[in-house]
Amino acid sequence: MNEKISSVLKSVEKPGRYSGGEYGAIIKNKNEVKARFAFAFPDTYEIGMSNLGMRILYGALNNEPDIWCERVFCPWVDMQEKMRELSIPLWAHESGDPISEFDILGFTLGYEMCYTNVLAMLKMGNIPLRADARGEDAPIVIGGGACAYNPEPLADFFDCFSIGEGEDNLVEFTRLYIRMKEEGRYTRAGFLHEAAATIKGIYVPSLYKVSYNADGTIAAVTRQYDDIPERVEKCIMADMDKAYYPDQLVMPYIEAVHDRIMLEVYRGCIRGCRFCQAGMIYRPVREKTPELLNKQARCLYDNSGYEEISLMSLSISDYTQLEPLTRSLLDWTDRNMVSLSLPSLRVDSFNKELMDRIASVRTSSLTFAPEAGTQRLRDVINKNVREEDLMRAVNVAFEGGKTNVKLYFMSGLPTETAEDLEGIATLASRVVHEYYQNPKRPKGRSPQVTISVSCFIPKPFTPFQWEAQDTMEMLQEKQEYLGSKVTDRKVRYTHHDAKVSRVEAVLARGNRKLCAALELAAEEGFQFDAWDEFFDYDRWMDVFARTGVDPAFFANRQFGLDEILPWDIIDCGVTKEFFKRERAKAYAAATTPNCREQCSGCGANRLGGERTPCPKACHGSHEG
Amino acid sequence: MKDNEKKFTLPMLESPRTMRILFRKVGNLQYISHLDLQRTFSRVLVRAGLPLWYTKGFNPHIKMVFGMPLPVGSESECEMLDVRIEREMSEAEMLERLNAELTAELRALAVYPAERKFAEIAYAEYDYTIRTAGGDQALSDRIRETLSTHPLTVTRRTKSGEKEVDILDFVHSYEVSFADGAVRIHAVLAAGEGKYLSPELLVTALKQKLGILSGNPTEENYRILRRRVLLADGVTEFH
Repeated sequence: MNEKISSVLKSVEKPGRYSGGEYGAIIKNKNEVKARFAFAFPDTYEIGMSNLGMRILYGALNNEPDIWCERVFCPWVDMQEKMRELSIPLWAHESGDPISEFDILGFTLGYEMCYTNVLAMLKMGNIPLRADARGEDAPIVIGGGACAYNPEPLADFFDCFSIGEGEDNLVEFTRLYIRMKEEGRYTRAGFLHEAAATIKGIYVPSLYKVSYNADGTIAAVTRQYDDIPERVEKCIMADMDKAYYPDQLVMPYIEAVHDRIMLEVYRGCIRGCRFCQAGMIYRPVREKTPELLNKQARCLYDNSGYEEISLMSLSISDYTQLEPLTRSLLDWTDRNMVSLSLPSLRVDSFNKELMDRIASVRTSSLTFAPEAGTQRLRDVINKNVREEDLMRAVNVAFEGGKTNVKLYFMSGLPTETAEDLEGIATLASRVVHEYYQNPKRPKGRSPQVTISVSCFIPKPFTPFQWEAQDTMEMLQEKQEYLGSKVTDRKVRYTHHDAKVSRVEAVLARGNRKLCAALELAAEEGFQFDAWDEFFDYDRWMDVFARTGVDPAFFANRQFGLDEILPWDIIDCGVTKEFFKRERAKAYAAATTPNCREQCSGCGANRLGGERTPCPKACHGSHEG
Repeated sequence: MKDNEKKFTLPMLESPRTMRILFRKVGNLQYISHLDLQRTFSRVLVRAGLPLWYTKGFNPHIKMVFGMPLPVGSESECEMLDVRIEREMSEAEMLERLNAELTAELRALAVYPAERKFAEIAYAEYDYTIRTAGGDQALSDRIRETLSTHPLTVTRRTKSGEKEVDILDFVHSYEVSFADGAVRIHAVLAAGEGKYLSPELLVTALKQKLGILSGNPTEENYRILRRRVLLADGVTEFH
């Protein structure tokens, strides 16, 4: 770490965020590597260090001897003040060198509310915000992650985006950079053009011009060269057993939000809930074999000392090899006092056997996500969960000694009525009732059922991508209405801030017109908008108004089914036709079977994939 | 591949044995709090594959007892941690295994069976290095004078509220010198369970009294290093 940084650590909160020196951090000689990659997480150290994507990509890039990847986090405001005072530019964690000295600066874009942090970090690093203002020596700024599937609100600030899974993609991208430098033919523009033309999944926004209709919708998107793709198809790791997975973790000294081994069991999801972006953009489903997972888990345990292994996936009980996997894990985890945790449980597959295997989890609470209060609405969103499933699951939990149950719901879903909202309160009360009816419940303790209600946000690449979000007033009214229906004293009701959800919807479905607003927000010093204490709705509205952005146009408007969507430039594998079919079925309250029961022809199978329920398809034979 | 299963093959001890780990915590690691250090060690011990004894019961866990908490912002060459093992493993192997899992800034210096109780610790020896604008021989004289004039009060926050204390009551002995552009204080401070002075408070008192260390932290800064811990006679080293 550089001396300037260490000299101020005595006077900032949580200095361990900045001190570095972690066991497992990769240190290379900067004079001996050919490319330096700064991997930036646009939030605090504690959150960034919990991010599985960052753990994987840090390892994958550093696995290449001639590439040195370092981590960058967003310093907290007290540190930022010191940095301004002492003219310390934003630095990379391992070397302490300013990020402006790096070859490539990558941002992982996990949630829309981090966009202002991305821009704040560029400012702290003395890197011009706009890609077209960057000189030849400035780092190439690349973005990736879930939000990169609609990169348009950030189009002016990024030189390029990596769409899809980055393990191989970022290495290939960096290799091209090295090659062009070595061959002496590197120019910023030349590199970006060649990357767009030759590397799958690389989207260079400056090479596509967008024109608009009088009503503000998109008229056309035109590529500037014939050799770059018309639509950028995401890249995937076809065989997850062959995908890079780290065998060593950087061990944070201060507590990370998720401080444990995260074992990624499979990618994708067979379910197809109609509001869920993750369930669509990570298709096709690709499993890892239990033998490999067991080996990876053991290796990570030996190299980390973590005593908890979390089995990660969008819905763990859908893993076809869960039985053999947990059996082989328990073979050694038990005697080493290592516990297993399952963060993603579906009520329809939660049973005693599964709970026994995770019995060592030291909490008295379990979380389920019915998402909607009535069967009708659960069918609309294709949540394929019945009330009986939930009641059976909570009874298993109660019999296993649990007293606290947390239930996740969403309000503002398409077709929602007062009856659906009331259904949330009724469902929660029924869970309380089940507790008292269960003779095997924990003796002498009372239950607590927490219902946590978020606001529906229409997301790109979902069957609900065209839907209007309820107005903020309507969302708030619904929250109050539900509050009035929760009368059971054993039920605790919490809900998300509708104001945040509205801004999130604007950014999620935004187009390039949002860039001006984000630029102004950066000038005004916006940051940490994912943190309650920093988010200021009125200031956001002010910024939108001053840059001519109508938030209702993006959040509360029903997008036309034939309209060119800002994210149409990206091909996530699942076709628009599928989303349209699913949308129509939603309005008919008709469900779609999961991928394992029956293929519904979403189109993602053309991307390939091993150990997948998808039928094999030839590339190019997709519908639409 | 690590050999973390070896521990299960070692001969059992008749009863768990308490081993003391003497370690260094310097450089950037001075910013890691006591709580974070505990969490860090719980993982280091697992990685090292030591034959640790786990508590019996619903939630088995290892027992770790630290000698004396080190305040954030101070470095140390003499931190101690007691752990219990239930199988035979040589001290040399434990030391080697631990250091394979540690970094240069957090390093085990020795592992040995714990004999003395931590309650016997009464004093600790510190080296202060103070760099300030205008630091010179004269400043070190002023510091020496300050340290010899009762009372030298600072406000100490305790559980029962704020309290004025004369920190000199906690200073057993000291030497002040000026060398290589820095004022150096070598001080033995109370460090017992009943009577303890955070080494940081000495700097706080000098700051308040002499107005030093108020400038740009890249030019004016200080370093505190705990060298040794001592018994009640103020001379014999505790180990």
